Amino acid sequence: MTTSEGYLLLALPLIPLGSAILLMLIPSGERNAIKAVTGLASLAMFIISVYVFFAFDYRGDQFQGVIDWPWLQNAGFLGKDGIQLKVGLDGIAAPMVLLTGIVILSGTWVSWKIENRLKDFFVLLFVLVAGVYGTFVALDLFFWFLLYETAVLPMYLLIAVWGSGRREYGAMKLMMMLVAASILIFVAIFGIFTEAGLGTFDMPALFDAEYGRNFQLVMFPLVALGCGTLAGIFPFHPWSPDGHAAAPTAVSMLHAGVLMKLGAFGIIRLGFQMLPEGAEFWAPALLTLGIIGALYGAVGALRQTDFKLMTGFSSVSHMGYVFVGLGTLNLIGMSGAVLQMFAHGVMTALFFLLIGALYDQSHDREFNHYSGMARRMPIWAVFFVIAGLASFGLPGLSGFIAELHIFIGAFRAYPLVGALAVLTAAITATYLLRMFAQTFFGEPSPRWSSVGEISWTERAGATVLAISIFALGLWPSPWIDRVAAGLEAGIPEVLL
Amino acid sequence: MGMEQVWLLPAIPAALFALLALFNRAMPRGGDGLAILGMLAVVVLALFVTLDFQSSFVDGKFAPGSEHVYAFEWAKVGDSLLIEFSTYVDGITVLMLAVVSIVTLMVMLYSVGYMDGEPRYGWYFAVLSGFAAAMLMLVTSGNLLLLYLSWEAVGLASYLLIGFYWERQSAAEAAKKAFITTRIGDVGLLIGIILLWRGAGSFDIQDIIEVAHGGGFDNLYLTVSMLFLFAGAAGKSAQFPLHVWLPDAMEGPTPVSALIHAATMVVAGVYLVARMMPVFDEVLIARDVVLYIGLTTAAMGATMGLVTSDIKRVLAYSTVSQLGFMFVALGVGSVTAAMFHLFTHAFFKSLLFLGSGSVIHGTGAQMVEELGGLWRKLPATTLFFIVGSVALAGIVPLAGFWSKDEILVALQGGAPMPLFAILAATSLLTAIYTTRLVLLTFFGEPKDRHAYDHAHESPPPMLLPMLILAGLSVVAGFVAFEGVGKVLGFAGGVGNVVFTQGDKGHVFAFHPDVAIGATALGLAGIVIGFVYWWGRAERAERARAWAPELHDLLVQRYYMDHLYQVTIDKVILGLATVVARFDRLVINESGVDGTAQGIGFTGFRLKFLQTGRIPSYALAMALGVAVLAIVAFGRT
Repeated sequence: MTTSEGYLLLALPLIPLGSAILLMLIPSGERNAIKAVTGLASLAMFIISVYVFFAFDYRGDQFQGVIDWPWLQNAGFLGKDGIQLKVGLDGIAAPMVLLTGIVILSGTWVSWKIENRLKDFFVLLFVLVAGVYGTFVALDLFFWFLLYETAVLPMYLLIAVWGSGRREYGAMKLMMMLVAASILIFVAIFGIFTEAGLGTFDMPALFDAEYGRNFQLVMFPLVALGCGTLAGIFPFHPWSPDGHAAAPTAVSMLHAGVLMKLGAFGIIRLGFQMLPEGAEFWAPALLTLGIIGALYGAVGALRQTDFKLMTGFSSVSHMGYVFVGLGTLNLIGMSGAVLQMFAHGVMTALFFLLIGALYDQSHDREFNHYSGMARRMPIWAVFFVIAGLASFGLPGLSGFIAELHIFIGAFRAYPLVGALAVLTAAITATYLLRMFAQTFFGEPSPRWSSVGEISWTERAGATVLAISIFALGLWPSPWIDRVAAGLEAGIPEVLL
Repeated sequence: MGMEQVWLLPAIPAALFALLALFNRAMPRGGDGLAILGMLAVVVLALFVTLDFQSSFVDGKFAPGSEHVYAFEWAKVGDSLLIEFSTYVDGITVLMLAVVSIVTLMVMLYSVGYMDGEPRYGWYFAVLSGFAAAMLMLVTSGNLLLLYLSWEAVGLASYLLIGFYWERQSAAEAAKKAFITTRIGDVGLLIGIILLWRGAGSFDIQDIIEVAHGGGFDNLYLTVSMLFLFAGAAGKSAQFPLHVWLPDAMEGPTPVSALIHAATMVVAGVYLVARMMPVFDEVLIARDVVLYIGLTTAAMGATMGLVTSDIKRVLAYSTVSQLGFMFVALGVGSVTAAMFHLFTHAFFKSLLFLGSGSVIHGTGAQMVEELGGLWRKLPATTLFFIVGSVALAGIVPLAGFWSKDEILVALQGGAPMPLFAILAATSLLTAIYTTRLVLLTFFGEPKDRHAYDHAHESPPPMLLPMLILAGLSVVAGFVAFEGVGKVLGFAGGVGNVVFTQGDKGHVFAFHPDVAIGATALGLAGIVIGFVYWWGRAERAERARAWAPELHDLLVQRYYMDHLYQVTIDKVILGLATVVARFDRLVINESGVDGTAQGIGFTGFRLKFLQTGRIPSYALAMALGVAVLAIVAFGRT
């Protein structure tokens, strides 16, 4: 990846931001204009994301396409480099950028049918996406945190205004927990800045800086819990099922699909890359919370009868795997963690897309109220089954390759945890297959005779996600090569 | 075309699966002709592979070389992990290729008649092709991870096909039960595979065997690993205590039962243990577990087969029992006997299933209480069914005789006498339930006049595959003889090549004493069957009245399904309820909402400090100054 391709990285947050501004200028009634702008913008984001993912040379430098402009320097406590507008891509962020591109493309398509204040919805959604992209490509800690918050805050309005069910409660709970968590990150970031004593927020410089052992031991839990809350770490996950249940489709997709990954990404960036000794010390705790979350989410999901609550618990369970992978402190397990972030992102996005497609027609999310839906909505059912099979780790689909790495890494570190992780996958199969048997099969219930097949935009969005599921499952090396290279270059030796 | 190109065998049906799954609606007859042609090509290619394999067999010894082919590197994590796709061909593989390709082709031909006019006809052929691809990949895989991949894929195909009539709630439930039960075994399989990788540093089967031989594993570690691996085999091959899914799997279309749940997928566990036998030989405790599980299953399956009314379920219990026989052979270390029985069983059991399908197709009934006297209406089916039954009962010279005899011989030499007696008794039971099934279905008086009057023989597309399988059920056993192999043009004699690979010197052995005893048992079983079920069923009624508790125990399948249901409902879902409640009450309502309320409440209380009255502020200030003064002066 050349430096000039770095401008593409810069474009990733700027396109949604620019589109959001452009949208504000369009009258609310011009639905077609809104669709055109958002459609083009999301397509551009998708294409650039795919391009930079493949353009990233995993045999090359750790950070590629690096661009930096000075922003604030030699002022007050800031030194020569101070705060810079600096972007770059490494092997860990590359699959995350790709994931964001995939989810926003399909998320945009399925949101076009929103009746209520379409324009405002997209303005907020695109600001959120700008924050997500920015966090993944930022190499300056100041901007990193600014954009991280930018990604989180629009959530409140998106759920409270466009949500369903207990939307005020869900939105408030989500926001309160995430803001409280952000305070921890805020403390950690300024702690890191001060302890490094370089007078700069430049992240590569901060990766290489020396931090005292005690400092690291204190700071790592702040990062792990602060970012971990966004990633749904047990027991700080409760915002997730309620938030998902209340959120509109595209927001659930982006939230479970991408935003939760932002949390795990933060743990890697701030925790593992800057505070290795802290990470080493706390890794067993992280792994323990991870495996508890994995089992807890899976067992809890067995009892859910609401599509979205089940998927919410399922997300807690799958994100638990991510912490297990990170906690193994070996390259295989950690690669699995990053792969799982991608795999979970696409399959959860697909789940939420399909649940939303059904809910918009039936306004009922209790899956016990359905039967024989495979007759009424065969295409919908096929996509749902694909997502489900990926979710419980069927080989050939995205979930398997990620989970396999986590299992192997866990077995290498702690065989018992590995065995529990494998068991969790069987529980996952149980709750999903129960839901399949109930909802898709059996005699079609006459109650839903008015419910028809999903729309073309939904089919297109689901297709994009399903292709991604198959791509990672069948041809995993582009992902694995980048992730492994990124981790090998980025994670300090003591941890691997 | 030889062993190096063996990857073509799974590749052809895999491509057809993709093609048919997406475009079957656009094709004439759902693309069934294409699927069958593809399978025919696989049969031919399998023959080429076999010939190539035979030619590398010189002077009674297998010259290794091209049997192990690396196709490509699938995934690599730095230097820590390498996953390669490789193929491996040896005698066991060749045998499995023959079974899988021939039976799949027969079943596809049969399905043209049987499934004619069904909805989702094209989808059916697509999934059959997909299944064939996965199964062929499973048996040609050179490494355990690729094997696991195909293992799950055949499970998925099985799920889709059991649930083919998914509008029926029972089919949907059966598909779910099959998938979850085998999945529980697969947890063990994956754990076993990763444990072996952890010890050997490779997923390659030959590497693992080498490390195991070289003493590279701790003995206890290896025992545990192999037991985990066997859990997967037991799940897939419906062994006690994971056998419960197979009888329910009969909800699928009958040709599927013949292919997947009799001849191919359910023997994957047998194949896996046979493939890993050199490692099992290192840990005899694990091998003993295989033996005892196999024996238990053989006996349980046969007894349950005695009292079942549904013809397909009788055959399913029979399959469970016969798979138990194969594991018994593996338990005493005889790959020869196990694989030989797998080979013959595939033909006669799929024949029996196709025969039962012909009955169901011709009468619309499948409970023996509704059948009877069908020989007049379905003469060809009756004849084929009897051939299959005699082979299953182990009567000389049909296929089942030779292979079952081989298992008894192996057991006689390798295990305590009581075990031999149990297995011999099970053979007797096999002959009895087989005879019962034949008599109740095809002879005696028709029990349901309506079904009988409308009964008709099946069309030629269904009879032809049955004819071929019947032929194979008669002659398949003869391949054990070196002379037959020579006649067929295989240098070393098929019996010698196929059944001795990886086996420690256990070649096919014919022991007249065991053979005569086994034949006598088989004939005795047939006689007992005739005594009880020929003509009027009074004696059978009396036997039931003689031991009603025992009869009930068998009809209730040893209460194992109940036990599992209770475990799931009470224990697992109970735990899930606890977790869900804990999450709602403790974490959400107390933890999160409680904290929020706590903050709100504190704020509410604190606001009363702001009284707005100047004297109270002045008092607080004075107190503050006093405290500070004490602190300041106290220090000095």
